[in-house]
Amino acid sequence: MKLPESLFSRLFLAYLPFMVYPYGFFKAGVAALWIVVFLWITVAFFWFTRRIFPDRSLKCAFFLWLIVWAQAVWTLTKLPPYWIVSVFFLAPVSFLEDTVKPGHVRVFSRQVPKYFFERALAGIGFAGFVMLLALVRGVGEKHLGIHAFEQPAGMLLVIAAVAFLWKNQPYQGRR
Amino acid sequence: MYFLIITFGFLLAMRGARPAPLQKPGDGLERILRNAADFFLTTSLILVLWALATAVEKIQPIALEYEVLGFGIAAYLFSRFQKKTDAFFFSVFASVFMIHSRQIDLFHGLSLVWAVSAGIAIFQACFLGLRYKLLFSDTPVSMRGWPSLCLLAGCISLVLWSLESLVF
Repeated sequence: MKLPESLFSRLFLAYLPFMVYPYGFFKAGVAALWIVVFLWITVAFFWFTRRIFPDRSLKCAFFLWLIVWAQAVWTLTKLPPYWIVSVFFLAPVSFLEDTVKPGHVRVFSRQVPKYFFERALAGIGFAGFVMLLALVRGVGEKHLGIHAFEQPAGMLLVIAAVAFLWKNQPYQGRR
Repeated sequence: MYFLIITFGFLLAMRGARPAPLQKPGDGLERILRNAADFFLTTSLILVLWALATAVEKIQPIALEYEVLGFGIAAYLFSRFQKKTDAFFFSVFASVFMIHSRQIDLFHGLSLVWAVSAGIAIFQACFLGLRYKLLFSDTPVSMRGWPSLCLLAGCISLVLWSLESLVF
């Protein structure tokens, strides 16, 4: 089985705000964990309340939800609100499209754990991805003294290498 | 500001608008310039509105307390009014917040918005041009897609990094 490229594009686009945050390994890790926890809360909230919102207002509700939480987190922790971009790219935003209608899924069906398991994996993968890049950034910047790692330029070159490895990962069939 | 240009320039290049066909770079360039003008006007308008809100005594405490909420709602409404993409909304929101957090006067803020808009347009134009040239090169299959896109973005970032100190 190969990890899909769509997952990489979501992780990468969700990582972009971390280029703006001037954070080291620890702070980047904490911010990533917050994003993952918030993603899970968002997914659970919209899973159960999806039917309450009329189709046209669902997208507005989603963005208002993000903005209100950005304000709350900024007031409480002074974390700049760029993190909502990460949540947006990690969230399954296909449900925001007008053409997608909610299916009749029972709460105690098999689809529910599968759905939440996939979101949980995306969140854990994102946190790992951010921590890996923060570690590379820290090592490159402090130990190797490469100034390009302080800038997005260096990180984009590292991500290019990660993307190359991801794209060319060996296929492993099911045993 | 350089970080903002690279991050959101790249985001807008990938998800900013319905992509013009790479075979017609002229169309793409036109869209980039139009989007940069829209970005400049939208961001400037929000900054002017915020300056007006803080100038009125009765609204000032609310405007200062809920600045993120105000910027977010204004950016969302203006983006929707212009039928822009979600990436445009995020870029405007982040730019307004970052320029505002520098606590500078309005005219300095507007000049920064101009510089950021121009920077994003230059980044996107370079990116489009390099992608167009890439069409006519024998790029190995293993490098097509995200690896080559990130490499191109990294190279443009290196060039813009050298120009950063001249502008900001």
